[in-house]
Amino acid sequence: MKAQTLRLRMTAGLLGCAVAMALAGTATAQPVKTVRVWHTETNPASQKAVAEIVKRFEATRPGVKIEAEALAWNDLEGKIMAALAAGSPPELSHGQPVTCAALLSQKLLLPIDDVVKAIGESNIWEHYKKLCFADGKWYGLVHASGTSLMIYRKDLAKKQGIEPPKTWDDFVKIAEKLTIDENKDGKPEIYGLTMPGDNLFINILVGEMMAANGGKLFDARNRPLFESKQMLETLEYWKRLAKFMPPGWEGHGYLDTFANLYGQKAAMMYAGFGRGASLIEQYAPENMRNTDTYDVWRKPHGPSGTAPASQVDEETWMLFKGSANPELAKEFLAFFYKDENYVEYIKSVPIHFFPITKSLRNSAEYRDIPMVKRWASWLQVQQEDLDKDQARPTLIIDWEDLTNKPYLLQILGSGVLRDMVLDVAVEGKPAAEAAKRGQQRAEQIVRQAGAAKW
Amino acid sequence: MQTRGLPGLLLVLPALLLLVTLTLYPVGYGFWLSLHAKHSLFPTQTFVGLDNYLYLLSDPEFWESLRIGLIYSVSTIVLQLVLGVAAALLLHQSFFGRNIVRGLVLFPYMIPTVVAVILWKWMLNNQFGLINFGLVSLGISDEPINWFGRSYIMISLILVSVWQFFPFVLLAVLARLQSIPTELYDAARVDGAGPVARFLYVTLPQLASVLFITILLRSIWMFTKFDTVWLMTQGGGAERYIRTMPVYAYLRTFNYYEAGMGSAVAIVMFFMLVGAATTYFFLFRGEDQS
Amino acid sequence: MSRRSGWQRLGLGLAVAVLLTFAAFPLLWMGLTALKPSAEIFAWPPRLLPEAPTLSNIGRLFEQTHFVTYFKNSVIVSSAAVLLTLLLAVPGAYGLTRYRFFGREMIAATVLFTYMFAPIMIIIPFYIVMRTLGLANTHMALVLAYCAFSLPFALWMLRTFFQSIPIDLEEAAMTDGASRFRAVIHVVIPMALPGIIATGILTFILAWNDYIFARILISSDNLKTLPVGIADLYNASVVDWGMIMASGLLVIIPVVIVFSYVQKFLVAGWGSGGVKG
Repeated sequence: MKAQTLRLRMTAGLLGCAVAMALAGTATAQPVKTVRVWHTETNPASQKAVAEIVKRFEATRPGVKIEAEALAWNDLEGKIMAALAAGSPPELSHGQPVTCAALLSQKLLLPIDDVVKAIGESNIWEHYKKLCFADGKWYGLVHASGTSLMIYRKDLAKKQGIEPPKTWDDFVKIAEKLTIDENKDGKPEIYGLTMPGDNLFINILVGEMMAANGGKLFDARNRPLFESKQMLETLEYWKRLAKFMPPGWEGHGYLDTFANLYGQKAAMMYAGFGRGASLIEQYAPENMRNTDTYDVWRKPHGPSGTAPASQVDEETWMLFKGSANPELAKEFLAFFYKDENYVEYIKSVPIHFFPITKSLRNSAEYRDIPMVKRWASWLQVQQEDLDKDQARPTLIIDWEDLTNKPYLLQILGSGVLRDMVLDVAVEGKPAAEAAKRGQQRAEQIVRQAGAAKW
Repeated sequence: MQTRGLPGLLLVLPALLLLVTLTLYPVGYGFWLSLHAKHSLFPTQTFVGLDNYLYLLSDPEFWESLRIGLIYSVSTIVLQLVLGVAAALLLHQSFFGRNIVRGLVLFPYMIPTVVAVILWKWMLNNQFGLINFGLVSLGISDEPINWFGRSYIMISLILVSVWQFFPFVLLAVLARLQSIPTELYDAARVDGAGPVARFLYVTLPQLASVLFITILLRSIWMFTKFDTVWLMTQGGGAERYIRTMPVYAYLRTFNYYEAGMGSAVAIVMFFMLVGAATTYFFLFRGEDQS
Repeated sequence: MSRRSGWQRLGLGLAVAVLLTFAAFPLLWMGLTALKPSAEIFAWPPRLLPEAPTLSNIGRLFEQTHFVTYFKNSVIVSSAAVLLTLLLAVPGAYGLTRYRFFGREMIAATVLFTYMFAPIMIIIPFYIVMRTLGLANTHMALVLAYCAFSLPFALWMLRTFFQSIPIDLEEAAMTDGASRFRAVIHVVIPMALPGIIATGILTFILAWNDYIFARILISSDNLKTLPVGIADLYNASVVDWGMIMASGLLVIIPVVIVFSYVQKFLVAGWGSGGVKG
């Protein structure tokens, strides 16, 4: 019993120490100025690059601490909400262009013209000037961009003499041809296509498909156009494609679809991104890690459309009003975009991260990145989409949507579009019925947002 | 002798004060929010009275989340109770290595939910998962099952939840079993009671009090369970088919950006639980105190 | 209990084996995966035992993440939460048991009702409170959160324990001239110890496991706790299964040590609280 008492006293003592440490942690206020930077690039290589840039910056500015945190998208949103509600936003955060536009509409952001000046406005590609811009001021600057890619197995396509698809009809035929069932047991070894069932990616795809089908998601009075001919065609398209996707695809996440591709369970991927090149180099069999096996096409257009369209993944840096050290944050951001620092970041996922500055994109240092050389055809398709202005952020069809339609954020988060697609492609409901239900939900969301003008 | 008065209240006061500041304020805030229309990111809100609640009445998504939430909570509660009690009875027997087995069986409750879910996602993985390998090679299924698709995700979720939480029941019941006086069993044997009768007439009544509080706590916790469910849908997993009420409240606030509506869902849940718990107290508490 | 037939023994053995497989096999698999090089992790068909066991996953964990810091933080926060909860709950539960005052039962019931508001929806207002108190982004905020969530449970549980201790014992001590305070310290607390420890362990588990509060309330990397650190590994765009399993393994080991050290108290403790009717 004595030994027990002793052990208990020791335990209590240890607990006491822990409390003291917890309190001490509270008491020691940081003597330095802190800049909080929240971003969404959670992969280890990008985090390392950010950490390196932070280190370099802190070396030039003693007494300044950059607190960089990488968060998954959902966690980031939660943190921003809590921080805004408590009146203590971070200095800098990534945000989707629609988020940036929504925050800007409530005047919650500070302009970052100083950063643009430091980079040199003429040094920034035209494409990046349309985002989160108001009253002649910049409120958002893209950290790097990547467009959605149609990745396909070039080796398999070649074997069957398949030509690049122009229309959705072409593409459905290709998906059928590339669904390969060698032993004829009715269960293909390779499915024609892999798609994610994840909300964000279905939104990305529906947005770009509507653009490629000449449709719009909302009319000028903000009324949803979910029962339009273009939307019904889009839903039918999903239904036709679903036949060539692995069963249970609605449970696949983004990374699962990549695993299907490099694990040779699927021949094509509609919502591919440059990041895939890094994954293929890491996980595909050694003799397949090249553009002879995995290449990209420009995307096909729908029956009511005429030109391809893709989504561009481009979060912007946003600077929050009411944060503690916005001036220092701008200094850090300008430092981030300097060629010698920025290249570190770009290198972490080179095929997904298109640099926004001309100086870096034209530099030898960028062009000599080994992956940039190896996957040149992937970058070329992205370049073409950007140059022809056929790439848009998620759910944006006309550039004006960014500022006119602040409720797009709610549409995206609500999963209305995802549910329509699942209703048709998984539940087997008629497209018109799913669209009607989606229309009702979307109307309610627009009304709730106070934007209904019909 | 129970002393009258103030000192008792003073002793509870610190705990009460902490609870009031830390939980009653947030609950009150939630109630206040539920009467407003508020964009989750924006600093302004408009008073809308009971509009949010009225909307929920006719919101099919809300009713669907109630249905899914009930399927999830009722099935996990029943399963963890059955399994927990059975395991406790089993581990109450004496056998070689009993203490080690007791320790091992409690593990699932000890590991962080994040780890538990990631671990099961790995085991249930479509391509590299051990479970699919086992099912296919034993001939139980002729192709890998997609555990996170429409048809199976609820089953996977229930499996993971029961695995994670049955040790709580086990622990509570096992502890109580150990303190049942053996004379009671001896007396029953003398009266000619078989094992089933002994369980029904000796063991079960003795377990009543511990089962009362365990069922209550577990029901509340399963009905408001968020993290296990949510993490199941992260990085793949057909979220729509396991959208329970807490998940729906979360989505309304954090993804629809409708903070008022999200709070309204949470408040409705709150009153449902209060109602259910009061009924439960009314029905069973008296028995427990006799 | 010693006279069992062969069939009974076989049945018992089988039942224990099934239970053990269900509960512990996943953890065994986690441990084994943590020791496999990445080529073996994705090997098809999977093999149970690693062919070339390696510590590289664990090594990478220490290299690429601040695992030691997260670990230390988790220990600090969880222990502090336990201590604070017990400091408040023990006197509180004693007061709720031994004194009769107006609204006592109401207080006891209301306390339980705080569980009925979905915790996930409390986070934003909780953050506001912490911010107002100047505690945002501190360990203290987490300690308070975990304490708030453990208190109702702790009060109820400890109350049943105090109820099971015969009041005569205290009275005897007090007639011998001891003050009430001394009587409680020397007579009541030692008798309720198993219950106090059980409560402490459950609070510890709650704090040790929490992801959501730590995610929202903490921003600085050097203050993060283990569940957040591990979730970050999973959110990365390349999922490094070997490293994640290694982290899971390392998270469990200390819990197992602590648990095996106090499990006697826990199991003996819980049930005796119910001995009252």
